[in-house]
Amino acid sequence: MLERLLRLILILAILAGIYIAVWSARRSAKGSAGGPPPWRDTKVLIIAAQVAALGVILSVGDYLWANFRARTDEIGLELNFDFLDQPSGISIADSPLDPNSSIQNALIAGVKNTFLIFIVGIPLAVLLGTLIGIARLSTNWLLTKIATVYVEFFRNIPTLLVIVFTWQALLLGFPREQDSWLIRGSSTAADSGPPSLEGLFIFNNKRFAFPSIGGGENFGAFQVVFLVAVVAAVAMWVWRTRNFDATGTPHRRVLWSFATLLVISVIGYFVLGGPFSISRPMIEQRIASGGVKMQMPYVAVMFGLVLYTASHIAEIVRGSIMSVPKGQVEAGNALALSGFQRYRFVVLPQAFRVAFPPLINQFLNYTKNTSLAIAVGFAETTGVIQNLFGQSRPAPQLLLILMLIYLAFSLILSAIGNLINRRLQIVGR
Amino acid sequence: MIRRGNALKRTAGVVMALGLVATACSSSSDGDADANTGDSVAVEAPVDTEVVESTQSEGGTLAAVQAAGTLECGGNDTLPGFGIIDSDGAFSGFDIDFCKVIAAAVLGDSEAINVTPLVAAQRFPTLQSGEIDVLIRNTTWTASRDGAEQANFLRTTFYDGQGFMVRSDSGIASLEDAANTTICVLQGTTTLLNLNAVLGDRGIPFTPLEFESNDELQPAFVAEQCEVWTSDASQLASFAATLDIDTTVLPDIISKEPLGPVVADGDTEWAQVVNWAVMAAIQAEEFGITSANIDSFADSEDSGIRRFLGLPIEDDDGNSVVAEVGLGLPTDFATNIISQVGNYGEIFERNLAPLGLERGPNALWTEGGLMYVPPFR
Repeated sequence: MLERLLRLILILAILAGIYIAVWSARRSAKGSAGGPPPWRDTKVLIIAAQVAALGVILSVGDYLWANFRARTDEIGLELNFDFLDQPSGISIADSPLDPNSSIQNALIAGVKNTFLIFIVGIPLAVLLGTLIGIARLSTNWLLTKIATVYVEFFRNIPTLLVIVFTWQALLLGFPREQDSWLIRGSSTAADSGPPSLEGLFIFNNKRFAFPSIGGGENFGAFQVVFLVAVVAAVAMWVWRTRNFDATGTPHRRVLWSFATLLVISVIGYFVLGGPFSISRPMIEQRIASGGVKMQMPYVAVMFGLVLYTASHIAEIVRGSIMSVPKGQVEAGNALALSGFQRYRFVVLPQAFRVAFPPLINQFLNYTKNTSLAIAVGFAETTGVIQNLFGQSRPAPQLLLILMLIYLAFSLILSAIGNLINRRLQIVGR
Repeated sequence: MIRRGNALKRTAGVVMALGLVATACSSSSDGDADANTGDSVAVEAPVDTEVVESTQSEGGTLAAVQAAGTLECGGNDTLPGFGIIDSDGAFSGFDIDFCKVIAAAVLGDSEAINVTPLVAAQRFPTLQSGEIDVLIRNTTWTASRDGAEQANFLRTTFYDGQGFMVRSDSGIASLEDAANTTICVLQGTTTLLNLNAVLGDRGIPFTPLEFESNDELQPAFVAEQCEVWTSDASQLASFAATLDIDTTVLPDIISKEPLGPVVADGDTEWAQVVNWAVMAAIQAEEFGITSANIDSFADSEDSGIRRFLGLPIEDDDGNSVVAEVGLGLPTDFATNIISQVGNYGEIFERNLAPLGLERGPNALWTEGGLMYVPPFR
């Protein structure tokens, strides 16, 4: 070990020597003989300090790597990725993953579950956080206090605790499957085994089920019609906006666009003879079918993270609203804007610009916190990797893969964030 | 000029600081090298010592354990009967007792152990890293684990099989009845693999619900988030004894689960030491030596027992010789094991019998079980 270190220091010393030699040669070529000698010249010393710092970092890295390799050699661990093609033996709830398919596929299924926590949770967290942030600034005493208690409570306890607490609450608060809470539904007792359940919404401690749209005949054609309706609605929006800019007549673009969307869709629905229906969830002999189903562990981790992240987002929202100069609000008042209009057109657009970078930070935290799902039995990326640890798979490579997956998530997210942030900035004049 | 002077001072400061760090680095590695060659250097960072020693693979784990004076075991802390933390904070259980058996053999002191509690998924990475000397945490011996985990499985201490537990009022009487149920299982276990493989082969659909630890699995089962709990039959029995609800274990046993100590690959000497320590406890039961009656064997006439206990054997010329088996263990290691921890039967009775577990396949071979060990000579 010492030998390696000495070798490295020697190499660095040679590099430093070469540098000083080149430096002196260049100075004498310039013909300026004056100035301090190299060991007293600030320019040289600064570079030398950096070389020394680099040397220390490299030797520490080299030491750690050598140590790692010595252990892997000793126990005969091979550092390759061939194991990724081996069967995983893993199955995941509500996932078509076959236990006999490869570890790669299991990892992909895990990443998909991580993404599911992310994509549903982030909008909810932003919505809840914004509402609470605004509530904290409200003039209503009770509302302000409730929001303050919420923020201080969730912001100051560990994320894992929030998730486990949410999970326990859902586990104990919701009934067993056979006693599910049904909304607009019914339950039929079976001859043997659990009863059959059916309803618009089903809640129990295994899963939450919601109605969804089930395609029937002509569903493909209806999708085309719906797409046309969306395009028409957007066109309507643009036309109303331009009309408003040109003539000043109230645009009412939200109303017009939705009316367009609705009218075309409804006409399409009847012309095509009812191309879709509402798919109601049902549970028969423990088999759940129809509708959209969410496993309880998923709800627990997603909801726990939303509650936690919303408390941070609320503070960001509050801070950014308070950062808008008071004069702006007063100017809005002077123009006789209503409270809503003042927020919508004056305060929030300016606050959003301030809030955006820290918001992206919260999204990144949220993404990383999804790994806590293993505590409550939701199999996302970390859960899959943990399973592989416990089987017969090499830990160093798996950890590397795990880190790269989260790194990829975070880097993509911050790249998108930076892109949007650049658009949001005030263009300097 | 003043500015420049400051910059120079700053730089000089940085250089000096870096120099200090560098010296600290090199001197600490000097110290490690010394410690490794056997000089009595005060070792400030035991982790470092272990690191360097593993890089040069001199001495091995046995020497390291003897030098440290403590055996590092990886164990369970959430499984009644096998490994659990009792009310005064100490680890106890069947697996923990075998950790003590090894400590008694190697160090002569069964209490010189340090148990690191591990969840199932952490077991092998921890063993691979060299943080623990031996893993005794109801770990199943399989070909792929022995082959690919860089783990070395030793003498099985407990023969188990995977079972299924349901609530008594669930109406589920066999594995076939359990179709479409949600099944709770621990992450990173062979149980999970067996579950997927066996139920897949039999065409029984199910939803897996995986937990990291029994601490979360148990409330989920009690609240009927899952109808079925699958694990090693012994574990199910131990949990059934602690739960407030009526439970039934299904008749289906779907796998062989031989549980025993595991060490890292690449150190045969250490593997042999652990193996023979465990086997000594089994042999002691076969000889009928217990912690209570071991003193009465001091003047035993049986040369096999005398050799086993490390008692001197007299030859025809009247010279007394102590048999040395050459494992690197003290000659009286079996005596230490029996007097400090007890024989296999005692360990079983102490930890597992209170949970209602029968000896079954874990009886001695002389009584129709699988506990058979090679001769001590």
